[in-house]
Amino acid sequence: MNYGPLIFLSAFFALAGSWFGFVITPQVQIGRLQPTNTLGNPLTYPLARPGLAHQGLEVYRANGCADCHSQQVRQTGVLLEVALADAGTNKPAVVAALVKFKSGLSEADAQRVLAELPKTLLRGIQRQEADAALKLLSTAGAKAALSIVPQGPDLARGWGRRRTVAEDFLYDNPVLLGAQRIGPDLANAGSRRPDLNWELCHLYAPSSEVKGSAMPACRFLFEKRPTEPGLAPEALVFPGGMDPAPGYQILPRPEAMALAAYLLSLRADAPLFEAPLLSSAAATNAPAAPAATTNTPSAHPAKSS
Amino acid sequence: MTPERAQSLPLSAEAAEPRCSEAAVPVWLVVLLLLLAFGGMVYFDQRGGWFNPQVYAPYVSVVELQSFQPPTGGINLERGKQVYESICALCHNPDGAGKPNQAPPFAGSEWVLGNPNRIIRIPLSGLNGPVKVKDVEWNLSMPAMGAALSDDDLAAVLSYMRSSWGNKAAQITPAQVKAVRAEIGNHTQMWTAEQLNAVQ
Repeated sequence: MNYGPLIFLSAFFALAGSWFGFVITPQVQIGRLQPTNTLGNPLTYPLARPGLAHQGLEVYRANGCADCHSQQVRQTGVLLEVALADAGTNKPAVVAALVKFKSGLSEADAQRVLAELPKTLLRGIQRQEADAALKLLSTAGAKAALSIVPQGPDLARGWGRRRTVAEDFLYDNPVLLGAQRIGPDLANAGSRRPDLNWELCHLYAPSSEVKGSAMPACRFLFEKRPTEPGLAPEALVFPGGMDPAPGYQILPRPEAMALAAYLLSLRADAPLFEAPLLSSAAATNAPAAPAATTNTPSAHPAKSS
Repeated sequence: MTPERAQSLPLSAEAAEPRCSEAAVPVWLVVLLLLLAFGGMVYFDQRGGWFNPQVYAPYVSVVELQSFQPPTGGINLERGKQVYESICALCHNPDGAGKPNQAPPFAGSEWVLGNPNRIIRIPLSGLNGPVKVKDVEWNLSMPAMGAALSDDDLAAVLSYMRSSWGNKAAQITPAQVKAVRAEIGNHTQMWTAEQLNAVQ
């Protein structure tokens, strides 16, 4: 074993090299990440989760939700679109502009385009092309808009509007990215369905909301109580056929409320420099929140106990 | 692991350790490795983003990422020129020199270059009565020529006036026009020079 020092040194440098590359360098680069501004109208992003949602992160973690649900949206590309919203008052000038930048478009076709506004004119073009078209159209007095639309299978499934980036997880400790997708991705759970009752019913009995769901029911987060003194405001309202036995109601425990608040706070669709996004939908930085913190009795269908 | 030591060991105790021969590395292998390294470097250079923490797939570089940033909403001066030539130039001349006894000049005019809140008000409600432009007294009346223009168009035409014919003043944004419109409300009477001078 006279190669001892050589083996030791190679092992040392191999480990030190990967430690330097995978631990130290990312730490230097994004270890001190601060909230930034969203694009367009500058809002601080991200905002810390409100208290109950912050506790919900612990419930999410404790119950192993991240074993089956990821919180990372992938993106494979991005498309630029130019859409014409309004032709303005000088229609001949707009027609001339259209014919100029849209090759193969006759004047009669351009007239027809103006008749069916708003319309997407160009799709999947380079930025210079888009800027040139926008300039021509706005010089002619028309109102044209650029859209920056991220593309990818995850986005096509409706799991988000853009890919997730490090900034989105600034207030997650630990970051629960998840490695498997036995269930759907939850990076935008709150903005996709801001409905507290839905979340609670789904936790209590997943198949009541999603047919054929493979998710285990989290009944231990709920209590079955007699409706004796009266129906509690936070009692679950099931979509149909799943109602508890007559004279009983299902009440969420604090853990269930925290978990649901956490799920409703999940939102990673603010436009950022790293993940640009531009569409007609208004930009926001706020964590998605339910319309009300409890499903108040007034929203309940009348129930006889 | 010297030859002497290897010989001194009893043959049966331990088989000799395998040893490298002196043969040189074949040239084709060196060339192949260099080609692979070159290909790898080209690939990294094109798609690696140079380890920039802001570059995530599918973006490959900061330059590409910048090309996908939303526009910041600059003023389209060409649009301003068109609006100017179709509305203002009839009286004020395409070169902004004005017309004697008809309209004062814009080139070098302290009204055009000065406080944006004053120049925005003039096309919105018009201007009536004596006004001093470049030390010359004018006593005319201009109707509210710009009241029907959109905020974008009015901002474009005023920005064009403020940056043409040797004029060099800051651009006027649609937001400024909108603010002034809200401020004056349904003021339809023409301004006088005194009223405008009171505006800050």
